[in-house]
Amino acid sequence: MTVMNRLKSFIIDQVKKDYTAYLILLIPLLFLVIFLVWPLAISIGKAFVLKGQELALENFTLANFERFFTSSMYQRSLRNSFLISFAVVFFTLLIGVPMGYFVARVEMPFKKLILALGILPIITPAFVGAFSWVILLGRQGILRYAINKVLDIFGLSLPPIYGLFGIIFTMSLTYLPFVFLLSYGAFRSSNPLLEESAMIMGATHSRILRTITIPLILPSLGAAAILVFIRSIGNFGIPAVLGGNQYVLPTLIHFRVHGFWDLNGASAIAIISVSIVIIALAIQKKIVSAREYETISTATSEYKLHKHPLIKAIAIIYCILILLISLAPQITILIMSFFEKWTGYLPVGFTLDNYKIIPQIASKTIKNSFFLAVTASLLTALIGTLAAYITERRRPRGGILIDFTIMTPFVLPGIVVSVALLSAFSSEPINISGTFLIILIAFIVRRNPYVFRSVVATLTQLDEALEESSTISGASWFYTFRRITLPLILPGIISGTILTFATLLQELATTILLYSARTVTLPIQIYNTVAEGNFGIASSLSVLLMVTVFIMVYLMNIFFGDSSSSSFKLG
Amino acid sequence: MSVKNIVYKNVVKKFAGKQEQVVALKGVSFEIKQGELFCLLGPSGCGKTTLLRITAGLEKLTSGKILYGDKDITSIPPFRRNIGMVFQSFALYPHLNVFENVAYGLRVRKQPEEIVKKKVTAIMELVGLPDVLRRNPSPTALSGGQQQRIAIARALVYDPEILLLDEPLASLDAKLRRHMRAEIRRIQKATNITTIYVTHDQEEAMAIGDRMAIMNNGLVEQIGISDQIYHQPENIFVANFIGKMNFFPAEIIEIQGNNYQIKLDYNKKIIDLYLQKEQIKTDDLKKNNKIILGARPENMIILQKDEESTFKGRVQVIQNLGKIVRYEVSLLQIEKGKLIEVDRERALPGVKEGDEVAINFKKEDLLLFSGNIDYKEGYKDDSDE
Repeated sequence: MTVMNRLKSFIIDQVKKDYTAYLILLIPLLFLVIFLVWPLAISIGKAFVLKGQELALENFTLANFERFFTSSMYQRSLRNSFLISFAVVFFTLLIGVPMGYFVARVEMPFKKLILALGILPIITPAFVGAFSWVILLGRQGILRYAINKVLDIFGLSLPPIYGLFGIIFTMSLTYLPFVFLLSYGAFRSSNPLLEESAMIMGATHSRILRTITIPLILPSLGAAAILVFIRSIGNFGIPAVLGGNQYVLPTLIHFRVHGFWDLNGASAIAIISVSIVIIALAIQKKIVSAREYETISTATSEYKLHKHPLIKAIAIIYCILILLISLAPQITILIMSFFEKWTGYLPVGFTLDNYKIIPQIASKTIKNSFFLAVTASLLTALIGTLAAYITERRRPRGGILIDFTIMTPFVLPGIVVSVALLSAFSSEPINISGTFLIILIAFIVRRNPYVFRSVVATLTQLDEALEESSTISGASWFYTFRRITLPLILPGIISGTILTFATLLQELATTILLYSARTVTLPIQIYNTVAEGNFGIASSLSVLLMVTVFIMVYLMNIFFGDSSSSSFKLG
Repeated sequence: MSVKNIVYKNVVKKFAGKQEQVVALKGVSFEIKQGELFCLLGPSGCGKTTLLRITAGLEKLTSGKILYGDKDITSIPPFRRNIGMVFQSFALYPHLNVFENVAYGLRVRKQPEEIVKKKVTAIMELVGLPDVLRRNPSPTALSGGQQQRIAIARALVYDPEILLLDEPLASLDAKLRRHMRAEIRRIQKATNITTIYVTHDQEEAMAIGDRMAIMNNGLVEQIGISDQIYHQPENIFVANFIGKMNFFPAEIIEIQGNNYQIKLDYNKKIIDLYLQKEQIKTDDLKKNNKIILGARPENMIILQKDEESTFKGRVQVIQNLGKIVRYEVSLLQIEKGKLIEVDRERALPGVKEGDEVAINFKKEDLLLFSGNIDYKEGYKDDSDE
């Protein structure tokens, strides 16, 4: 009898408890397992068997990796990827850190404008930047034409921008804003009292810079460097437009899949590429965590800005020069979109045809792009919010695993996500290649970190007592979530979602392997139009894309203030 | 209907720390009576907030039981316990206006609109903010004291059976704090709701609580009313945490009825004491045993140096605190110079910092404790930063 009573009270106890949260936890978990963990596992498996063979132990081979030792194309790609990534990190730091310092610590006009314009290169699709540099410095590039006129006097000539130099140049300008914004933030937020106390103790300016300022911002620089490295090594658009016969790992993957439908070979390349990223991350973590400093200042005192006229002049000229160079693509594209040709000094044949033709040639792709970006953003918002809430508030055992799984795509180049999804879902029993669905899944997997991070950040700032007090007032978990948590984290969700939308609209690397005739997106169409050499139409389409993205980001800034633009650090 | 007391039975709480397990509560058992205002007092990390959160159901206990009346509430989730709680940060909802903040618990209980209105108006009256509802702003626009009152109103509006307050005054400035603690006591007496009040401020606990528990290191050191705890501390931790006490290790020489003769370790002086039973806080009272003599600063006397005395010392700091003057004196003929504190109602004329003085005990209100402390080091006070 007593056993029955105990059992009864135990069951009643269990029913009384609130399991809603755990049931909801299943949604993001299942999604991640099915569409990220599983495809990655299949992809890794496929890398060790040859194309067309069963995924079985007896077919195990290292042949897909051997190409890195036998094929000169593979070796060159690997070398190029390394060279480009390190060079881009080096140049962005070299150019971006002084700019961050100047804007943060030197008195100059239009700081807000400089910061706003400084962010533009990141919200411009990278491959658009690349093709506008073709207009400027390509074989018939106008700027190259002008420069060569001058160089001719000395018997020299500037080669066209194609090849390694062009890739490094364009990529450095594209990713410069990361370093600029992160170092600007670090220079501004470190505690001025630290420098002032050093000054009072008699240290000179250069000594303070060397012993206090730079060491304090090292963690930020480390974060910026790894961000630039990950993006450079995963970038597909720039080497695809400017590479010519110089392949890098992402274009090599594209080549294997597009040319031979060799997912096994592509997986092997993907593994190598991701391993490099992981090693880089580990090194960065080791360097930075060895010097963990508190850079957030609690003091209200502000830095005294440099007011020396010479320093001011240098700073202003430097910033304007860098801005002019890094904004040249946007300006070029805008001008180009209104003309037929631009091969001499001035563009010729003013026309609006490039725009008038858009509805006729691009209405389907625009519709596709919006449909995919909107749907994926909304689903990302849902999954990312739930996952963030659960890891942050419920702290389940293995929560770190969810965190890790969600952030994985952050280090995976877009093209690698595509390879993994194709490996798992392009053959029977489940074949969804060429559908909207596979692009949608790729988009969600790839951009989940945006909403996730954004919501986690909002949640950590949210006093947990707010939710506890609601619980104590008698509210169930779901009631509390609906009435208290959700309204308060909504800004974080919305800004993460807008950011997701803006980046998905210009996504090229993920879609390039997944699109079919039915599912062409706007960036794909621009990429193909560039390949056909039709720069006028490519420009008008790019302007359309850039303006849309710009408006989204601008609206976000208005609604959520300055901090939201820093979400771009996420990458 | 039985009396609804809160009963803790051997409550243990362990947290899984990063490296090792942290034991926040090491077996706590006591009872809080229905309708009383009970303070949990102790230094930070003593387990008082954990005990409060366990009472609320926000933390699960590792072992032990909590009873409410004759009902075991140990495994009842927080949202079914019918408790009101005021958080240190107030935890007012910034996206809801004052009315909706206060009405929250009623909305959860799906009360009809007219009852919500009536109850919110009444409770705002009780906490002394009837006018705020007219403008009905966001709580973020209000002052700290007003936010405090709204947090209390929100916790009381749905007639909970228990009210929990977690350092509710910690974020207010000193003057407002004194005012609000009187207000909290007034509101508690008006509603007669069983209330647990967590604080690390002994003055606050003494002023507000009907009874209090002094906690240290996961255990309850003493439970009692303010007067008892101040004048009859059970051990040197309580004696030193509540107010200030000077400790002198000594040895018992002779016991005759209520007359005791002890020898101070410090200067081997022998002094005679006449002690009542309640002044003796040690079971180990035998000839030749070590004990500790405790004297509050107001139970010591400071004199000009040439007078007959137990100690000689040098004045280090004189603080005039208004009601009293506090002398910090280092005892002479000792290496590090043990510091003691002596209070006087008025300053001693002609004595300034650096002067030599003589120190004596007032013979009443001295206490004898067990324990073993080095007279050179003195008692280490954890609560002092």
